[in-house]
Amino acid sequence: MGNKQTIFTDEQLDAYQDCTFFTRKEILRLHGRYHELAPHLVPMDYTNDPDVKVPLALIVNMPELKENPFRNRIVESFSEDGEGNLSFNEFVDMFSVLSETAPRELKAIYAFKIYDFNTDNFICMEDLEKTLNRLTKEELTPEEVKLVCEKSIEEADLDGDSKLSFADFENMISRAPDFLSTFHIRI
Amino acid sequence: MGVTSMRRRGTLKTGLLPGGNVALEKIGLTEEDVRDEIMSEEQDLVKELVTMSTRECIQAIRDLPMCMEDKKNIRNQVLASKSSKKGFLLTCSADCSEQISLSLRRCGVGLSSARQAVRLWQGTMKEIGGRFGTSVLSYFSFLKWLLMFNTISFLVNFGFITIPQLVQTSGRSPDVRFTGLELITGAGYFNQTVMYYGGYINGTKDSDFKYNMQLAYFFTIAAYLVLCGVSLIYSMARSFRRNFVLSDLSSGSAWRLLCSWDFSMVNERAVRQRKNNLRVQLKESLSEMMQTNFLPVSERMKQLGIHLCTWVVSAGLAAGSCAAIYYLCQYNLQQIKVSQNPGNLKEEASTLLLPFVVSLFNLVIPLLYSLLSKVENYSNPRFQIYVIILRNVFLKMSILSILCFHWVNNVTTNVPMCWESYVGQDLYRLVIVNFFFSIFGSFFGEFLRRIIGTRCMPSIGIPEFDIATNVLDLIYAQTLTWIGIYFSPLLPLIQMIKLFLLFYLKKVSLNRNCQPPRRSGRAAQMQTIYIALLFFPSFVGALSLVAYTVWCLTPSDSCGPFQGLNTTFEAVSLWMEDTAIISEFSWAVWIYSHMIKSELFFFLLALIFLVLIYFFWQITQGRKMLIILLKEQIINEGKDKAFLLEKLRTFQNLSLVPYHAENVHGPQYFERTYQTESDYSEGYQRGACPEEDTPPFASSALMQAMMARRQAEEEDEEY
Repeated sequence: MGNKQTIFTDEQLDAYQDCTFFTRKEILRLHGRYHELAPHLVPMDYTNDPDVKVPLALIVNMPELKENPFRNRIVESFSEDGEGNLSFNEFVDMFSVLSETAPRELKAIYAFKIYDFNTDNFICMEDLEKTLNRLTKEELTPEEVKLVCEKSIEEADLDGDSKLSFADFENMISRAPDFLSTFHIRI
Repeated sequence: MGVTSMRRRGTLKTGLLPGGNVALEKIGLTEEDVRDEIMSEEQDLVKELVTMSTRECIQAIRDLPMCMEDKKNIRNQVLASKSSKKGFLLTCSADCSEQISLSLRRCGVGLSSARQAVRLWQGTMKEIGGRFGTSVLSYFSFLKWLLMFNTISFLVNFGFITIPQLVQTSGRSPDVRFTGLELITGAGYFNQTVMYYGGYINGTKDSDFKYNMQLAYFFTIAAYLVLCGVSLIYSMARSFRRNFVLSDLSSGSAWRLLCSWDFSMVNERAVRQRKNNLRVQLKESLSEMMQTNFLPVSERMKQLGIHLCTWVVSAGLAAGSCAAIYYLCQYNLQQIKVSQNPGNLKEEASTLLLPFVVSLFNLVIPLLYSLLSKVENYSNPRFQIYVIILRNVFLKMSILSILCFHWVNNVTTNVPMCWESYVGQDLYRLVIVNFFFSIFGSFFGEFLRRIIGTRCMPSIGIPEFDIATNVLDLIYAQTLTWIGIYFSPLLPLIQMIKLFLLFYLKKVSLNRNCQPPRRSGRAAQMQTIYIALLFFPSFVGALSLVAYTVWCLTPSDSCGPFQGLNTTFEAVSLWMEDTAIISEFSWAVWIYSHMIKSELFFFLLALIFLVLIYFFWQITQGRKMLIILLKEQIINEGKDKAFLLEKLRTFQNLSLVPYHAENVHGPQYFERTYQTESDYSEGYQRGACPEEDTPPFASSALMQAMMARRQAEEEDEEY
């Protein structure tokens, strides 16, 4: 293996490779991207696991996330502190789940987290309304929004509690074959 | 216990738990208890992972929905316990095997990353997907897939047929000079080269070059077609299972809200467009919901009448174009008969008339079809697309069938020279002219349309990339190539070059002239349909034509490797007769005479397959019933859960008395008193979500239920 890189030790790279869907080269490339976000904050040498977090405001300005209506929720779902500040581990985790090779079940779990705006483990009416407003730039009237959300819950709710639990969501995802290709960010 | 349950366990940690520490205290659990619970879950997880093989273990770790530190933690624990297990065996050999497996894994990963680096057009496809979405990207992936088929075909043909022929005939050069026109007409200089069937000679008889060209030609093409067929069936079945069987969501609101947003779109204008489209679609579906669907009988009869008319008109157009092409073919044959000077430039150019007319029909008539579909009024836009595709496929396949009919019936008897080379040249010309018409189609359909749409008539607007037409065009060209493999073994090379150029052409045209599609989604289902179309009329048709040629038609006497035989397949029979003399291969001869040659064998095989199909169909019906029953069961369980939680709540509210620890196995859930009812929201109230800090009642009960289960498991272990 050719170039000697000093950003990570071999064991670290092996660990990253085993825990994510990326290869060594991609992980090094991701580190480059992470460093670009905040060059003064992120060290080039990660061999001793520095505890560095890049703030939310810088991450959502990445070209891959900038135009996404859910960029804030995506980053918040992957951050430990819930505020959206990502360490490098969380950064890699995020793009690993959103990569092409991640399985449907894993993506469904995180998609559920992303759409669950009030983090109560259910997608209720308000979560759906917020989702719809983000998707349509708030150009539907409130009655229309309510109608659409009610119809959605009616369609997807299996156990009749008028909100979507993770089981309902997963059932809907399993019947949408496009989900694997749409819930995917290329980096 | 599968990986799914491990994933569920993993979710305990990641905070698919309710509201945090406040919630836990309110239901009487301390942080200690929860942490212990989590620790024991982790131990179980590690124990399960250790029992798996390395590759399964890594796959399972990757699938865990935990944060990276936890995954690394678990991985280290698993590695530690695996190495400690091995520590009891010979440490030296264990070390060696560990090193070997590690280096093998690194090697494998290095190979896969190298493969990714040389993957063709990776960056371009990312760009296209980012700007136009996954449905347009599917056209380009389809193109790449066809390119792979043609590459394999070319390599196989070149390696096994062309190279031996070139080696054999090195030294001989054709009599005709090379003029530039050959690149388009395919005749002239190319006529006597290895480009066509006529350039191949079976040389086993007169030279000491022991290569049986007959068998090589036959078996190479047969093997390639079988490989193609198997790969197409496999792709089709896999695609069908993934995209059709499981999904029965017609574009419902839930799907549109939660599953349809394309996260890979990064272009600002495209995103804005997509939002607009979604809004328009939602408004449309809302207004549809409002409308009542009652049409009076006269309206419906009128609709039916219109549908019938358009179908008759489209069938008439297809039949008319077939008739025109047939007469043109007959005319061409007559011209050959009366032609005095076969090398005449004008006559060679006149052979281009047929492909020109065919491609013109293929371009113009679909436009007429789309005009017709505007007249009709389909309630379901998806149905409309299916109808358009069906009509186009019908047109293209009927044109191809008439051409095949002409080749098989008329050309074999009326052409003085090599009829296979004649057919090969016809196909070559069709492929080349089709390419030029694709360029023209792009030019007129996209470039000019954009100019008109932006400068002259802004109401039309910027065109969308018409995926269906382009994909059907690709399928048509691929059918021509597959038919042509027998008559012109190097035709896949032409198709390869053509596809390569087409990719860049379409990419440039797309970027400059088109906007992202308005109707989102259903890319996966359309992909399945395209693969199915590639298999059913296209590949099966080509295969049947080649099979008919090989089995029933007489090869021409003056050229080609099969001169002098009655049918091409006779070469195999003769070979079998020769090997029958050698006793070592008598099993092969037995297989040939009793299985391939006998009809009884195939009849029995077909009967067995029919029985199996009926059997599997019955199983499918049974499973559908099961799905309905399970759905009802889920609803009933939800109602049960609500009922039990209600009981639990009333019970807890009543019990303000401390509970004796001996009476209940488990932590003291019920010792604390609860303050007011208002702290707990009714989990099953319609639509209301609590805004305060207190957790929904349902999830606290979930926590209690999990603790109870843990307790029960510990009890089981005790006994």
